Amino acid sequence: MTVAKLAAAPRTAVAPEPTGPVLSCAGLVKRFAQRTAVDGIGFQVDAGEIYGLLGPNGAGKTTTIKMVCGLLDADAGVVTIGGRPLAELSVRALVGYVPQDIALYPDLTARENLAFLGRLYGLRAGLLDERIAEALELTGLSDRDKDRVEAYSGGMKRRLNIAAGLLHHPKLLVLDEPTVGVDPQSRHAILERVQALGDSGMAVVYTTHYMEEADRVCDRVGIIDRGRLIAEGTKRQLVSRLGEKDRIDLVASGDLQALAASMRGVTGVESAAAAADRVHVVAADGRSVLPDLVEAAERSGATLTSVEVSEADLESVFLNLTGTALRE
Amino acid sequence: MRPAFLIAGKDLRQRLRDRSAIVIGVVAPLVIAAVMSLAFGTTTTFHFTLGVVNADHGPIAAQLERILHEPGLRNIVTTRPVADEASAAADVKARRVQAAVVIPAGFSASLSAAKPESILTFTSVNNTLAGSVTTSIVSSFTAQLNADRLSLATAVSSGAPADRVAALEQAAAKLTVPVQLAQRPAGSRELKPVSYYSPAMGIFFLLFVISFTARSFFVDRGQGMIERMRAAPIQPLEILAGKALSAFVFGVASLGVVAVVTTAVFGAYWGSPVAVAAVCMALVISVVCLTALVIGLARSQRQAEGIASAVVFGLALLGGNFVFVSAEPDLLRRLALLTPNGWALRAFTDLSTRGGGLHTALVPVAAILAFSAVVGMAAAGLSRRAVTA
Repeated sequence: MTVAKLAAAPRTAVAPEPTGPVLSCAGLVKRFAQRTAVDGIGFQVDAGEIYGLLGPNGAGKTTTIKMVCGLLDADAGVVTIGGRPLAELSVRALVGYVPQDIALYPDLTARENLAFLGRLYGLRAGLLDERIAEALELTGLSDRDKDRVEAYSGGMKRRLNIAAGLLHHPKLLVLDEPTVGVDPQSRHAILERVQALGDSGMAVVYTTHYMEEADRVCDRVGIIDRGRLIAEGTKRQLVSRLGEKDRIDLVASGDLQALAASMRGVTGVESAAAAADRVHVVAADGRSVLPDLVEAAERSGATLTSVEVSEADLESVFLNLTGTALRE
Repeated sequence: MRPAFLIAGKDLRQRLRDRSAIVIGVVAPLVIAAVMSLAFGTTTTFHFTLGVVNADHGPIAAQLERILHEPGLRNIVTTRPVADEASAAADVKARRVQAAVVIPAGFSASLSAAKPESILTFTSVNNTLAGSVTTSIVSSFTAQLNADRLSLATAVSSGAPADRVAALEQAAAKLTVPVQLAQRPAGSRELKPVSYYSPAMGIFFLLFVISFTARSFFVDRGQGMIERMRAAPIQPLEILAGKALSAFVFGVASLGVVAVVTTAVFGAYWGSPVAVAAVCMALVISVVCLTALVIGLARSQRQAEGIASAVVFGLALLGGNFVFVSAEPDLLRRLALLTPNGWALRAFTDLSTRGGGLHTALVPVAAILAFSAVVGMAAAGLSRRAVTA
């Protein structure tokens, strides 16, 4: 009798209310052949908290959140949503997943896409229409709801991609690098929206390799490198680990790897790494080491274009912890 | 199963918007069936022209010519006089006639001699059936002649009076040679080309559902939609069930439209509607299982398209979708029975010619379902992995 009742219970429309941390994961391990992509990662996210997973490409962020969303089976570790194991199918109704790439049907309209995805989460009739209208309003696509998605701009698609993950009002929203390839205006809008979701009480996991984004929207940040969570805390906590240190950005041309190596040898420099068109340096006193850094640049044959000294930030923390820049 | 219906509904909506799916699923089989039916005429009646060299001009030669003009052969053979043996060989080679018979000079007279002359036939690989019919007629005729000669010899050796031998010879010459050749369908109806090629083309294009659906799955996966669906509270198998359901509905609709239109417009006869429906359902189930197998085997959209093409054309060639199975070599006819489309065509042919209801299609339907079960089991594990990969 009990079994029959369980089997007949609706599994999608009514999601269990979370208790305690909305997301709790511990000891997550994922191996692909000989490579360990995620190695013992664990963290918790509370309601109303925006948790950033910060790390360079290939650090294991996406693999981690795929395990959190049940898209990848972990080789070890536990994930609970609202205190319930992810293995329970109904628990997935608590999670909204926004993949990194646009995951929408280009040959369907925005309304059709949202209706399809909403129904998969058990939304029906009146409530579904209400949520679709809300999502379209939110994305500013109300007047183009009958246009096929293929006709939308990149920013519109990106906004709709996020709206599709919010349709069922999840308790936990997982966003995988939602601003990749987005213009500055759309990026700003997305970040504002994420902040508003956190303020509304939704737990958010936000992966990015943009330090500025983590800095702006995340209440807490977990820094991932080579599949391991190497540091975690609020921005203030993480930066304070460095003590009173400065970050120096030297925009230069020439062999920047060689320049970074020579700067590591300068007294007072704690770490230096090349990234794109610049070298990031962390030093106890930025202004005092500056002449030596300029001299090192001259010695290595690099041409300095600009130098900026600022307070240490998450980028500096990452550099200090890993010896590499976030974006190499 | 609600998610499966949702996915199937969404897939069908996309399919209906995709003009190529409508063209391949409905328009193409109708057009090709019509073209092939026109190309092969409206009936399967066989007819050929036989060159006849009568260098004998004797009573036996006249008898053979009379036989060739008998009502039973008139609809099958048209004779054309040919001057000599060399001309006969040249005419057959040049396809002016499909076969030729040469009655040598002195043939009638030689039958009384110890070693009679032989009738010569020319046949061509270009028309083996005409050759077989010609050989058959001549063999039958000469067999009767030999039997008459034997009877006469027996009569003489057993003491028939010498004055009666000439009369016996004349009587023997007037005997009717029992050559009988008439075309009758094996069943109660004649199989018209349109009744063969309509299901054949309907089935051939139905097989493209394998390509469509496998490609749709990998496109969905490439667009991140399979992952997005998996993030929802649904089972991976429900995603596959949705894809299978859309393939099933599209397949049944495609074959159904082809059946109705070819019956109403081209005069094709598929057979009893209930039996036809049973065969169609079984066949579409096998197509769904094959689709799942392709999805399970492939790792990418390109691979899926390659495997699906090999499956579609392999099955179509083996199953007899392009040529009458009866015209194929024995080995191919046997191989056709390893394919669901081969069994389906056999069922439609039987239903069209022999008539009958569901019982006529019972064995083909069972064979198709057995094929589906084997393929389905092989596909089950593989295709689930494709969803969760």
